[in-house]
This record gives sequence, structure tokens and C-alpha cells, in this order.
Amino acid sequence: MSGCYCYDGTLAGLLSLYARLLAERVVVERISATPPDQQSLFSSEIYIATDQAVAEAFWQRLTRRLSSHSLKLLRHCLLADHPQQELLIYTYLLLEAEQGKRVDGMLAHPAVAPVWKLSQQVGREAHRYLGFVRFQQLQGGLYYAAIAPDHRILLLIGAHFAERFSDQQWVIHDQRHNEGILYDAEKKEWLLLPMELHAQPEITPQEIQFQQLWRSYFTTLAIPERRNLKLQQGKVPLKVRGYLTEFMA
Amino acid sequence: MDRLKILADGAKYDVSCSSSGSSRSNSGGVGSAASCGICHSWTSDGRCVSLLKILMTNRCIYDCAYCVNRRSNDVQRVALSPAEVAELTIGFYRRNYIEGLFLSTGVVRSADYTMELLIQAVRTLREQYRFNGYIHLKLVPGADPLLVQQAGLWADRVSVNLELPTRESLQLLAPDKSRDSVVGPMRQVSSLITANRAERKQSRKVARFAPAGQSTQLIVGATGESDRQIVTLSEQLYQRLELKRVYYSAFIPTVADTRLPARPEAPLRREHRLYQADWLLRYYGFAAHELLDEASPNLDSELDPKTGWALRHLELFPLEINRAGYEELLRVPGIGVRSAQRIIRARRQGHLGTDDLASLGVVMKRARYFVTARGRYAGDAGLDSNGLRSRLLDRPLQKRPVQLSLALEQPVRDETASLITGEL
Ligand code: SF4
Repeated sequence: MSGCYCYDGTLAGLLSLYARLLAERVVVERISATPPDQQSLFSSEIYIATDQAVAEAFWQRLTRRLSSHSLKLLRHCLLADHPQQELLIYTYLLLEAEQGKRVDGMLAHPAVAPVWKLSQQVGREAHRYLGFVRFQQLQGGLYYAAIAPDHRILLLIGAHFAERFSDQQWVIHDQRHNEGILYDAEKKEWLLLPMELHAQPEITPQEIQFQQLWRSYFTTLAIPERRNLKLQQGKVPLKVRGYLTEFMA
Repeated sequence: MDRLKILADGAKYDVSCSSSGSSRSNSGGVGSAASCGICHSWTSDGRCVSLLKILMTNRCIYDCAYCVNRRSNDVQRVALSPAEVAELTIGFYRRNYIEGLFLSTGVVRSADYTMELLIQAVRTLREQYRFNGYIHLKLVPGADPLLVQQAGLWADRVSVNLELPTRESLQLLAPDKSRDSVVGPMRQVSSLITANRAERKQSRKVARFAPAGQSTQLIVGATGESDRQIVTLSEQLYQRLELKRVYYSAFIPTVADTRLPARPEAPLRREHRLYQADWLLRYYGFAAHELLDEASPNLDSELDPKTGWALRHLELFPLEINRAGYEELLRVPGIGVRSAQRIIRARRQGHLGTDDLASLGVVMKRARYFVTARGRYAGDAGLDSNGLRSRLLDRPLQKRPVQLSLALEQPVRDETASLITGEL
């Protein structure tokens, strides 16, 4: 058994797939996320069905066995937005099944290096987004923030914002991946949900005022004698500026 | 809105930006202080924005020559009330614009009265809004010790700006502030922090006093002190008063005054060299007198201070990378804290060759002249070569930057980058 595999695109689906393939150390060419109804009759891809129980059992075994370092690596890569992340992770898991905890030290190994690099990218982006989220207060009191990160970092930043803004009702919406975190200030809980925006959210007059104050504060801060736009662009890439109050017109 | 502009403008030359070093977890209210520091944005000069940095008021009864807000300068005077400062901070914070507040002020009526206003703003934030975010409070020189103590209980970090390195300069340029009115509160804070630490060892219930420590700022280039005087002063501040940070701010003239140098070169390059020297004091185990002595009291503008030191001590080099101790490695130009640690770790697995060094993060462009690996020397010129200095210059052909000229852009860009990593 070797070749191309696909799953339904969910985390449980992917874990079910890993469980099946790892058990037999299957050699894999490609793994892709294709919902079953889009499968063509002549597709050469083998579809592995999602099995919640298998997925959970597999994840539990994995979290018990892996070092905290490997686990973090894996978590980050599962949240990455990369065309081959499923295969990269699988290759890593194969090596881990063979070598055990020794993989931790094998940074230069071709099965480890790309996973390590990807995990670093995700981690770095998540850290940057601790600063790059901008909430707007909506009619009704909800604080709403839109972001469009390269990777699906919401799960990595949720806890930070849940602690920091524990007494306000808020949503962080990843518009690129169409999902969001909804925080419930009463229950002190947060949930990751599929999310889509149907209309521009309505903001309060007070919100407009705070945004203006912030923009005016921000422009005043710069010291003209030290102007250095290139440095600024390295730190705040153009692609995120559309979501940052201080860079909006 | 205009008030905010004016008051932010008045505080922006204060260079401290860090919000790190304090971790406060949220217990019911809003906010937390992350101990690693989070930048929220960057201004068009490339500086990171993490705190709302403002003055409570730009009115001032004092007349410091280097300051826009001094009494005798004709500018529009405005003020925010403590309640307004608190409201603004919480409004910005809830939208995740900032990590916290950095509050400074001009002196109104008296030092004590002003200090009370600042404390009131911070209390409103902590008590009324139950704000747990980071707060840095500027202490007013000459304020009552009781107020200083209160300030430290509400804030995460406090600071008094020393501004000028010597008593004489202070008297000349800030005639209303005495050396004692500045150093007094610093001493007090230092001993309160030490006492608080001891008490908290006994009981965790004791409230934390300025958990992120104290810092200060020195203006560079407004008076004639040498780098040696400045670096020696910093060393004392770190050793005797246990300051967390000394910041250096290149003097940029915003007002004309006969007591100030007529056309001072904006000493940005010098500011940068001082930060490098400061780094060597704090993380590399250098002493001030090793970096500067009477014969050469100023830092070399063309060489970073560690390379300068190494060139004066060629007898200690080249160093064999596989045998040298950690402290010795740290003194090699091009080897930073991280690469020194990596060398130590990596050589346990086997002897390192010159090729391995670059992948461990060593800047070979500089280090090659000062090390051997397995006995092999990697420099393309001998250690005694007269050309060594010119090979190691930061930017051999660049002239010193002149204030406001376009030539400034180039060096400043590179310098900020290395300031952030701080590796030498
Ligand atoms: S005390 Fe001096 S430095 Fe401070 S605001 Fe007044 S004039 Fe400026």
C-alpha cells in the first residue's frame, strides 16, 4: 500500500489518517485534504474516513509519548498553512516512530528540518499577533478584531487574550481561514468556530473617537530626524497594515 | 485630541520602551503584563510602540535648557486630568493598542503636588478599572519620600531621569534640579526594592514594590562629558543602585539656548556606541575602565567597543576556540552571548573547526582574526598586521553622520538593527 491519500480536512480526519498509515509504516507520496463528496470516480487518491474515537486515542498516545519539544513542533505544524504540511508531519512521525526521543536532537535531518522551520514560522507569527490584533467596540458592547494571518494561529493566541481581556466580550476573526475565537466573559470560556462576515460590523461613536485618538497619537510619536521606513516595513509588513487601526486612512 | 498630540510629543524623546520584566497575572480585572514584552506597532522611524507614552501636562515651573516644556519657552500649555489619563489608557488597552502606560510630566506648583497627580492617575487605573497591565511612572525630582514609596507600590517600574552625567552640567542646564533631588529618590527606590525583596521572601503576601525595577536616562551630547565619564557613571548605577537599565538619548535640539552647544552634531552614532558599551557592562563582564581610559576617553566612532578593546589587547589573541572558557569567548569580537553558549555546547560533541563557527552564529568577518580552531588560524592577515584595524572598521568609507543630513539614514538603519539584537 503506497501512494496518495486524502482526508476530510478536519483535524480528527488527519489524525485518523496518521493512525492508519503509521501502524503499517506506509510509504506516502501525497496527502491532501479533499472532502469525500468532491472525490472523482477516477481519483487515484485513497480516502481515509474520519473516526473520532481512533483520532482521540491516537492523539492521546502521541501526547504521552512525544517530548514537550516535539509536541510543540507538531502543534505548530498542524496549524500551519502550507501546501505539504500533512506530508511533512507524517514523515516526521515516521522518523519518530523509528528513533523515539532521539528526533529532538536531529535538527539537520531532512525529515526534521522542514518541520522545525515551519513550526518556527508559525510560532513567530503567533507571537507577532499578540501585538497585531486590534479590537473595535461594536454596538452592543462586543469587541471585534479581524486578522488575516498566514497560518492558523488563533489556537496559539487564544489563551493570552482570554487572560488579558477576561472581563470583556470579544471575538478574533481570522478572515483568511474563515474561523474565529469567541470569548464568553461570563463563563470565562473561549471557543474556536467557523466564522464568516456577512456585513460590516457597526461600531460605536466612542469607538470612532478612540480610533482617531490612537491614529493621531501614533503619528505624533515618530521622530522626523530618525525616519526609517525600511526598518518600519520589516517590522510591520504591508499585508497586515490593512487590519491595523494606526495605518488605516 | 490636540492635547493628546501635544502631550505625546513632549514625551516621545524619552527612550525607554520596554514593557518587560514584570509579570502580573490577571485576577479578575482587565490586563496582564507579559514578561517577555510585546510590541504592538512600529513608528515611521522604526521604533517599537508598546506603551502609551505621555505627559500628564507640559506646564512646568522649571527651566531646563534642553527641554521644550521649560518655563521660558513659548509653547501652548495643556494638561490631562488623572481621570482622563486613566480613561485614555484603558480605552487604548481594551483595543489592544498598547501593553500599558508610561507616564511622565512637567512640574506644576510643586514636586509633591505633581507627584500626587501621577499617583492619582495610576490609582484610578488600578482600583477603579482594576487594570493589571504594565505601568511605568516617572518620579518627580525632589518629591517627598513617602510619595516615592507610594508610586512604587502602584507602578511596575519607576524612574528618575538623571539627564546629565555631572553635577556641574546639571547645575548649568537644569538649575532648578539639584543632583540630590535626583539621586535621592534613586537611592530610596533602590533600598526599597532590596527591602521589599527580602520581605517577600518571608511572606508572599507583602505587596510588590516596583517589580520591574528602576531605570534612568542620560542625555548625550548636550554637555561636554566624555564617554568615559558616562560609562563609568552607568557602571556605578548598575553596581551600587542596581538599576535595571540606563537609557541614552542623543540630544536633539528642540529649543535654542545660549547654554547649549551652538550646532551640535546629532550624536546618534555616539548614542549607539554607548548602548554597545552598556551592553558589554551588563552582559559581557567588561568593566568601564577596560573600555575607556584617560588616554582615550571617548569610544571609537568607527569601531564597536569590543573590537576596539581586542585591538588594544592583541597579546591575548588568537584564542583556541576548543579550549577557551566562556568568559574568554565572550570577549572575542563577533562572538555574542548566544554563540558563545552554542560553542560550549557544540564542542562537547567533538572539536570544532573554523567552518562550524559560522553556523553557530559567530560573525566570522570579525572573529576570524582573533581565533584559531584546532590550531588553525582563519584570518587572511596576521594578528600584528597594521591593516587589521582598517579591515575591522564598521563602514570604512562612511563619514560621520551629520545632523539632519540624508547621510544619516544609512548608518542609523544598520545601527538600530544591531541594537535590537545587541550582539557584539
Ligand atoms: S523639569 Fe525640566 S525637563 Fe522636566 S518638564 Fe520641566 S523643564 Fe522640562
